[in-house]
Amino acid sequence: MSLLQSTQFRPDPSANATRRALLRAWPELQNPAAWLVALILVIMPLIANGFFLIEIFATTLILGVIALSLMFLAGYGGMVSLMQLTIAGFAGYMVAVFGMSGNANISLGWPWWLATPMALALATLFGTLGGALAVRTEGIYTIMITLAIGAAFYYFTNQNWAIFNGHTGINTVATPHFWGVDWRSDIAFYYVTLGVAAICYFAVQYVSRAPFGLALQGVRDNPRRMAALGFNPNAHRIAAYAFAAFIAALGGVLQVWNYRQISPGSVSVGACIDVLIIAVVGGITRPIGPFIGALIFVLLRTFALDVLIKLGLDGNRFRLLIGLGFLAIVFWSSDGVIGLWERWRRRSASSTQRSGGGRHG
Amino acid sequence: MTRLFGALAALTDVTITVRPGERRAVLGSNGAGKTTLFNCITGDFPPSSGTIRFFGEDITQFPPYERIRRGLRRTYQISALFPGLTVQDNVYLACRGVSRGRFSFLRPGQNDALMHATETLVQAVHLAGVKDQRVAELAHGQQRQLEIALALAGAPRFILFDEPAAGLSPTERRELIEILTSLPAHMGYIIIEHDMDVALRVVESVTMMHNGRIFKEGLPREIESDPEVQELYLGGGHE
Amino acid sequence: MARFIERHPAWALIVIIAVAVLAWLVFAIWPPGLEAAIGRKRVFLNAVLNGITLGGLYFLVASGFTLIFGLMRNVNLAHGSLYLFGGYIGYAISTWTGSWILSFIVAFVAVALVGVILQLAVFRRMEGQDLRQTMVTIGLSIVFADLMLWVFGGDFYQVQTPSWLIGPVQLPLLTAIKSSGEPVYLQYPLVRLVIFAASVVIGIAMWLALNRTRIGMIVRAGVDDRDILAATGVRIQLVFVLVFALGAGLAGIAGVVGGTFQSLSPGEDTRFLLASLVVVIVGGMGSIPGAALGAVIIGLAEQLGSVYIPTYAIVVTFLIMVLVLALRPQGLLARR
Repeated sequence: MSLLQSTQFRPDPSANATRRALLRAWPELQNPAAWLVALILVIMPLIANGFFLIEIFATTLILGVIALSLMFLAGYGGMVSLMQLTIAGFAGYMVAVFGMSGNANISLGWPWWLATPMALALATLFGTLGGALAVRTEGIYTIMITLAIGAAFYYFTNQNWAIFNGHTGINTVATPHFWGVDWRSDIAFYYVTLGVAAICYFAVQYVSRAPFGLALQGVRDNPRRMAALGFNPNAHRIAAYAFAAFIAALGGVLQVWNYRQISPGSVSVGACIDVLIIAVVGGITRPIGPFIGALIFVLLRTFALDVLIKLGLDGNRFRLLIGLGFLAIVFWSSDGVIGLWERWRRRSASSTQRSGGGRHG
Repeated sequence: MTRLFGALAALTDVTITVRPGERRAVLGSNGAGKTTLFNCITGDFPPSSGTIRFFGEDITQFPPYERIRRGLRRTYQISALFPGLTVQDNVYLACRGVSRGRFSFLRPGQNDALMHATETLVQAVHLAGVKDQRVAELAHGQQRQLEIALALAGAPRFILFDEPAAGLSPTERRELIEILTSLPAHMGYIIIEHDMDVALRVVESVTMMHNGRIFKEGLPREIESDPEVQELYLGGGHE
Repeated sequence: MARFIERHPAWALIVIIAVAVLAWLVFAIWPPGLEAAIGRKRVFLNAVLNGITLGGLYFLVASGFTLIFGLMRNVNLAHGSLYLFGGYIGYAISTWTGSWILSFIVAFVAVALVGVILQLAVFRRMEGQDLRQTMVTIGLSIVFADLMLWVFGGDFYQVQTPSWLIGPVQLPLLTAIKSSGEPVYLQYPLVRLVIFAASVVIGIAMWLALNRTRIGMIVRAGVDDRDILAATGVRIQLVFVLVFALGAGLAGIAGVVGGTFQSLSPGEDTRFLLASLVVVIVGGMGSIPGAALGAVIIGLAEQLGSVYIPTYAIVVTFLIMVLVLALRPQGLLARR
């Protein structure tokens, strides 16, 4: 083993090195824009009223978390799963079924601190099993299988009355209430979603550089070589589905608390595809992408009607707008609006350089 | 206890037996079945019949990753790396693949033993200067070096090199020979190589393959001077 | 067939027993005990026939989907939109001219044209990038769905069945024997039988075209190995356009059929997209006989399920897909 021990690597013990390592691990820390965004998000309740706080920002964060789970699978694992919203919806249904709701014949009436972990566990299991099914085939087939799973779940919730209460769904779902705080009141709920979204964001960021995340990216790039390095590619893929399912389930629990009801409409095929659109429009190579995509999506969904009518157009054409916007992004950018933004920055940077060089020459 | 390494692959009744620590070259023209032989041994594509024994253990039915965890390694003729990751991450993955914690959700610290091993390997293949670059940005020769580094990770007992010198400059070839000859004595390997200068200098025995069959086996100088081999293989190269 | 029995004797036995049981259930007169357990035979026979004829419809949709996927690796998630578009066109033509046959021709041509435009204007530019192509088809399906909602609204439409096809026909299948000893035969809508026969004819025609003509050989070669096709110097773009046109046109025809069988409304596009996905996953990607087998299996499962376990019908379909993926992930009749 002389070769492998020929040089001794000594870590630099100085504080400077620790600091550098920290910055390499968390590049956000040295980005002033990131600090600014974080500050704004934290003091948001001072700026925005209840409508903006919940309808825009909390909704964005929830959709962002669900889309983040897709970004994790697609960006790091190369698996485009269309069932992430289905997993979220399943978690939401489970909260309604195990917890308390207006449909007393269905809900078991467990307290929230028991129903929520149960819902998270079941949804994670659901996503893991779905993933185990999807990894039976490779590449583009993933989309087909996960879409089939999502659509089957949608039709099942429509048909089944015993658990899912058919097409009416489950209404007036109870939300947590403890320490004298109603956690569904606007400001408290905003902070809950912000906290969960931040944890999910940093968890994905962290795991992407951990052995598991690196191995997943290796599997994405070259599964055969990963097997030749001692990894079991499919086990990693399924584990990735499990991790993503847990994130999606968190988003689903927040979503059912947000709307206080859940019905087949919440898990429709269109909604599944919306999550893909959010992730792709935002950009699926970095965890920030899904949140940007979600913000664009929510803003469009909320204000497109008014804007379209003001422009003298039919206000109902919101989905047409979404579809065309999505097509445009897919056509012009491989990395969503982040990619467009970076390309624009690079171009403007190079053009200033060129004009600077021109003056010299 | 037989400590033999053998492959009976379905090419056409190919039987290769290599002693532990033995270094052997497999020569032959394109399409002779050399890479197929490697694929059978590592399990990339399973043989349709026959058995593969590794240090006495029958590994024929094992998935590739189980074979690797037992100390088998290989490199690929066309570099099979992870272009989206940095050099360091590539090597780190190779080290991680044959140790525990493949599913770890915790990032390695600066004092992590595998990080040290990674660092050492990166230096051993002369890539320390580019360790934070993405593999897609590396030059061809550097990618070949990295390919070898991945095969040396962990504690390999036996390595299959598939044309490691392909596309390398003369200087890089010298470096390659240096790396191969400085491997610890217990590490055996099989090398597929078209460049006789490289192949015959780093091995102690040679197997010639032709059309999926074993054509001739012997010592390097026997093979080199064999008239039939000259005609079949070396001669063809000069025309 | 013989090779299959030789290789998988257990599976062959299960299949043979299943077919025998089904045949007995269809042809025998049910003993009273069975009727008491699972209901009238007429209900069962209707479900079986509905399932098989629905399978014919699914085959029309899925065969185009599988052909396009097999040759171009393009997962066309806008296929359901093409189906619904064909249905609306057929409805418009049949109410305008009163001709049912003409509505098929126009629907085929119109939807095939959409397919040609899509292939030429969109997919040709991103050949080989299957993920990007699929994303584009998702975007297109959203745009199409909204455009159709804009034009046709959210109402239900039904294509008028021509008068010569209206009414039931008596089939030589006994459902029961009256107490007077008089046999009772099954009555079944003629139009469904005619449409099923037509889809069988289309299926056989496609099979013949793929196996007996030069262009069919090219397409099959392309399904097996695209690189070989590119290397033979065939005008591959022309083949792609033709196949896309044919696949889309079939979806258009299926839309008219579906509009006659059932009804047309927003949401049907998704339903038939899902049906195509499951049929193709079960039958085997890129295989026409696979699509036929998958379509019949899924059609039967859906109809029998909705009769006997109405609130879990979709689960049966889904379980079939899971079972196939677990045992034979490439699909029942896929070659690889």
